[in-house]
Amino acid sequence: MADLSRMIATKQVSPVEVVRAHLDRIAALDGTLRAFITVCADAALESARAAEADLMAGRAVGPLHGVPWAPKDLYSTKGVRTTGGSKILAESVPAADATVVARLAKAGAILLGKLNMHEFAYGPEGLNAHYGDARNPWSADAHRVAGGSSSGSGVAVAAGLAPGSLGSDTGGSIRIPASLCGITGLKPTYGRASRAGVLPLAWSMDHVGPMARSARDCALMLGAIAGYDPADRTTSVLPVPDYGAALTGDVKGLRVGLLRAHFTDVATPEVKAAIAAAAKQLEAAGAVVDEVNLTQLAHVATGSAAIVGSEALAYHAAWMRTRPQDYQPDVRERLRLGAFVTGVHYVRSQQARALLAREVDEVMARRDVLLAPATPLVAPVLGERETTLGDGPSDVRAALLRCTRPFNFSGHPACATPCGFTQGGLPIGMQIVGRPFDEATVLRVVDAYQRITDWHTRRPAAA
Amino acid sequence: MLARMEISVDLLKRAAALAGFDWSEAELEPIGPAVERLLEGLRRLDEADLGDAEPTTQYRML
Repeated sequence: MADLSRMIATKQVSPVEVVRAHLDRIAALDGTLRAFITVCADAALESARAAEADLMAGRAVGPLHGVPWAPKDLYSTKGVRTTGGSKILAESVPAADATVVARLAKAGAILLGKLNMHEFAYGPEGLNAHYGDARNPWSADAHRVAGGSSSGSGVAVAAGLAPGSLGSDTGGSIRIPASLCGITGLKPTYGRASRAGVLPLAWSMDHVGPMARSARDCALMLGAIAGYDPADRTTSVLPVPDYGAALTGDVKGLRVGLLRAHFTDVATPEVKAAIAAAAKQLEAAGAVVDEVNLTQLAHVATGSAAIVGSEALAYHAAWMRTRPQDYQPDVRERLRLGAFVTGVHYVRSQQARALLAREVDEVMARRDVLLAPATPLVAPVLGERETTLGDGPSDVRAALLRCTRPFNFSGHPACATPCGFTQGGLPIGMQIVGRPFDEATVLRVVDAYQRITDWHTRRPAAA
Repeated sequence: MLARMEISVDLLKRAAALAGFDWSEAELEPIGPAVERLLEGLRRLDEADLGDAEPTTQYRML
């Protein structure tokens, strides 16, 4: 997005050409990939022509002027249906944009359409029974999942159908598809970007953030969307730094904690090797790497299930009473579990959450960032239910969530980026975790890593 | 603390009704194993020493 923005601003390329090229790719590839739920071809071209006219007339332009993008289909878009990947909201047309959508429009970005997702964002595989399962573009032979819940965002960016997207992340829904699809995805600190106008999964765990090809692109998008919003009382009044200026490429003296137990140690051998190599590369670039373990992780899975289950069922209660048959089966069953969580368990889960947040803060007091796999495995084949990690057999869903969910629980910012490929050609993802509201350092580390590696520049042959 | 008990479909139906959901036995039967796993995790959470940690409902209001 940063490159396109520069090329458009300097009139090397027209917004109309850029938008048309992306619409052509969508038309050619999306029948197979199923990244989009809705394509706004006519409106996008109209916006592109207007952007071109503004540019030629010398009118003021924003930092994303003429650059196309597409959000996960749970962001409200004025006049464009917002389905949440559901049958229930299939015809729901919002009267206003979500705050972050409006901010990207103000920055000049052009909406290409709305992206596929796990129904109502409740699943890490990225499956959708209503609009079709998004297909991971890195696997031509088998249908592998894209990861979710922001599956369409992962696929669209990886396959070049959109240069950037906004996903949402309640247990890993930005970082999991970023990891499985080989792109960069940032979950900012809770409160950094507004959730107003975004369909909730679990209010206290939902984070919105950018998914793009590079840390630089994510920095550009985050700079446009971040900051206080009176429509979302959980947003912070802290000023928004210049994220682009933070990308110095310099990590000399930066303290990196390599998360071992629960994270790297249980990853598959190829993931573990890639994480070890990344730690060495950061060390070679001047960072100081040590190993660290977190001890307050025992209740993350249950606590997350209790919190997300309760909050999600609270949001969906009316529909779950009147039209449960309209949910896809796995989401319906997951929502039903929320009925069996008591208020006491909800509160104890929030206590466990406070303990983990405190521990991560303590660990981060002596380190600038933490390093871990984004997912301990690469993209599973569609329908695969069991896998094997370093500590034994695991349910695929639990394995996908294992490394990301702790930082939804704690609220710390975390960015996934590709850090290698398996022998079979599937992307491997790592995540960099930062201090609260220090997305600048997180992005600085990811950008520095992307300057010394080329994993993030690789593209799937199928696309 | 949750007592260990056999999770029957009838029990699930009554518990769901207490929560305000009139789901049938046929609808609840498939989630029995998942409920068992959830309750086992919640039992462990019951037994955990959470000290004086105040519940986090929203993170760092700044």
